[in-house]
Amino acid sequence: MERPIFQPVGTPVEELDTPALVIDLDVMDRNIRTFQGYFAATTVKARPVVTSHLCPQIAHRQLDAGGTVGGIAVTTLGEAEVFANSGFSDILLANQVVTVSKIRRLCALAGQTSIGIAVDSPNNAQQLSSSAVAAGVELRVLVEIDAGMGRCGISPGIEAVALAQRVDGLPGLKLEGIMGSVPGPKGDDDPVQHEAKTKTNLQIVLDNKEAMEQAGLSIEVVSVGGAHCYAQAIKMPGVTEVRAGRYPLMDHRLKSFLPELNPAAKILASVISHPIDGMAVLDAGHKSTAPDQGRPVLEGIEGGNATRFSAEHGIVELEGEAQNKLKAGDKAWLVPYELGAAVNQYDYFRAAKNGKLEGFWPISARGRLA
Amino acid sequence: MNEHYRPTPGTPMEDLDTPCLVIDMDDLDNNMDVIAETYEGRTAKLRGHSKNHKTPAIAHRQIRRGGTVGGVCAAKVSEAEVMVHGGIPSVFITSEIVEPMKIDRLCSLADQAEMLVACDQAANARDISKAATARGVEVGVVIELETGLRRCGVREIDQGVALAKEIASLPGVRFRGVMSHQVIGDMPDREDRVVEANRTIKGVIDLKDAIEGEGIPMDIVSTGETWSYDVAAEIPGVTEIQGGSYLMMETHYSYMTEFHYAGKILTTIISTPRPGVAIGDAGVRAVSSLSGMPTVFDRPGVSVESMDSDHAVFKLESGASLKVGDQVLLIPAQQDAMVSRWDRFVGLRKGKVEVVWDILARGCHN
Repeated sequence: MERPIFQPVGTPVEELDTPALVIDLDVMDRNIRTFQGYFAATTVKARPVVTSHLCPQIAHRQLDAGGTVGGIAVTTLGEAEVFANSGFSDILLANQVVTVSKIRRLCALAGQTSIGIAVDSPNNAQQLSSSAVAAGVELRVLVEIDAGMGRCGISPGIEAVALAQRVDGLPGLKLEGIMGSVPGPKGDDDPVQHEAKTKTNLQIVLDNKEAMEQAGLSIEVVSVGGAHCYAQAIKMPGVTEVRAGRYPLMDHRLKSFLPELNPAAKILASVISHPIDGMAVLDAGHKSTAPDQGRPVLEGIEGGNATRFSAEHGIVELEGEAQNKLKAGDKAWLVPYELGAAVNQYDYFRAAKNGKLEGFWPISARGRLA
Repeated sequence: MNEHYRPTPGTPMEDLDTPCLVIDMDDLDNNMDVIAETYEGRTAKLRGHSKNHKTPAIAHRQIRRGGTVGGVCAAKVSEAEVMVHGGIPSVFITSEIVEPMKIDRLCSLADQAEMLVACDQAANARDISKAATARGVEVGVVIELETGLRRCGVREIDQGVALAKEIASLPGVRFRGVMSHQVIGDMPDREDRVVEANRTIKGVIDLKDAIEGEGIPMDIVSTGETWSYDVAAEIPGVTEIQGGSYLMMETHYSYMTEFHYAGKILTTIISTPRPGVAIGDAGVRAVSSLSGMPTVFDRPGVSVESMDSDHAVFKLESGASLKVGDQVLLIPAQQDAMVSRWDRFVGLRKGKVEVVWDILARGCHN
């Protein structure tokens, strides 16, 4: 477990024990209202992907803000269990569950709350059906097709339709619809080109929906992800839900693609050494920032850049007038590059308002990878 | 925290829910015994780095098997707390501790166990002195010298000598010695490592000589890491070696074949969407990709093509096959980035669960 000092409510955030993952609640609430507002007047609704924050408090706030389907999406069975225990009544596990022991857990969970599951192979559908029947539960099934990710998902076309027909005929399963994930932007992608690529990928999902309907199947749900594709998805009739995760807290990676939203979760670090002019060493290294897919970005110090992260240390290079800034004991703010990776390293968000601590919010599903 | 999953002893690996962090106990014991044998009869001993396993049970196991100073290193105050509360009698925090709240926590620990801390600035030494004096405890201080990592540490010998004089004059702190830490790239040839170790570790020996030349005694010269665990111990004056990666091992040190790959991520194939490709249920959140992709263990023709947060994409060469439900073991490129994402180790011997260890200092960033 993280072992922070649990400072009292009202503590100024810059006095928090570090490293600390701090949420500005006002920024978060604004992000939620802005993003979910896009879905207020359309038939397409948002389904918050809680894997990005793993925190039931935040998920409840999302569902309370409107514009959603009233349910959430998760990536692992362990996450589904945590969120079911926190009162969520519609959980889509947007991933495959294939082993005997996990399928048993899945069916046990479906006895507690309504569970949707992604399926991309006939064998898996058969396994799920047998277990669901044995457990006396019904699983909602979305046929997952590969919409450009090159990951899970059955190939679009005849195979996908055949799988949907197979699911439709199996007891214990309810064919609810179709699901696809479209690739998100990479750091150097051009937004215009990315938009065109996203449209093409979303169209693959819609074409397959039509093919399934032509085969006589009823497709109620067309679920696409993630946050970056909402603008195109909203304009495409037939899509019913957009799975989106990073918009409440945001991160550096998504910022240029959703510029109207602002980073609400940042890492507060302390300077532990300023050994030479032009360099400061932070107490936040890769264990507390998870720069696997990109380095966190130093905020608020002109001429200062976070350039290297080793396991326990972050190195800031300081140029020009910033050379002598960030002395030992000073604080620095880092914006995570990839939110989900950073959140996964902490047990608590330090929730703050107007620069003061409001409380410690447990990241209850952290580490529930299995 | 993952409190759900704790397989019972005897459970076969095939029945574990995945992804799962597993340790092969035979390999772990081998790695511990290499350390015990290497330092047998030598002045220098290992002070194993607990940041690599974050688990008091593993620290105790190495201390019992031998080759150590009887204590550990830690990177953070909160990590040191877990080790002290777990019964480790001596902990060396190898980072500078500067915030007042953390200095107080350090001093509180010094009341319970022998505490050492790295220092590279006089103001910091004075702060620790004040806090320790106020609490009536003594904190051991070790001067860090920069020898290649370009981060903390004094840069010049003179700077180090001046700092040692200051520390020696302060109440509440005891000057204990000097430390350096460095990293090298692949150096399979032992002779190359001897040359490189002598070159990089010379600085800390020079600093020791200069400080002792001023009449200030010390009892600790701490340096080294897994790549120099054997050669650093041959350098006269070195008293303790910091090493941690050797326990679980990582492909970064693949040339050190005396250590075995003990720590791995067990993943299950959840989809085989097209020929030549299989998808595993472990991604970056489980393995980390900081120093590169993990390597597939003992499955010829299967490699990791890419990873996202929760999936690994495996590429299969012709002849190799994986089906849904198959398990694959992954060896990390860097083990401590991987371990710090997990709540427990599942220790397997001959493919069956022998022990489950809580990684009690997981998440101890503070």
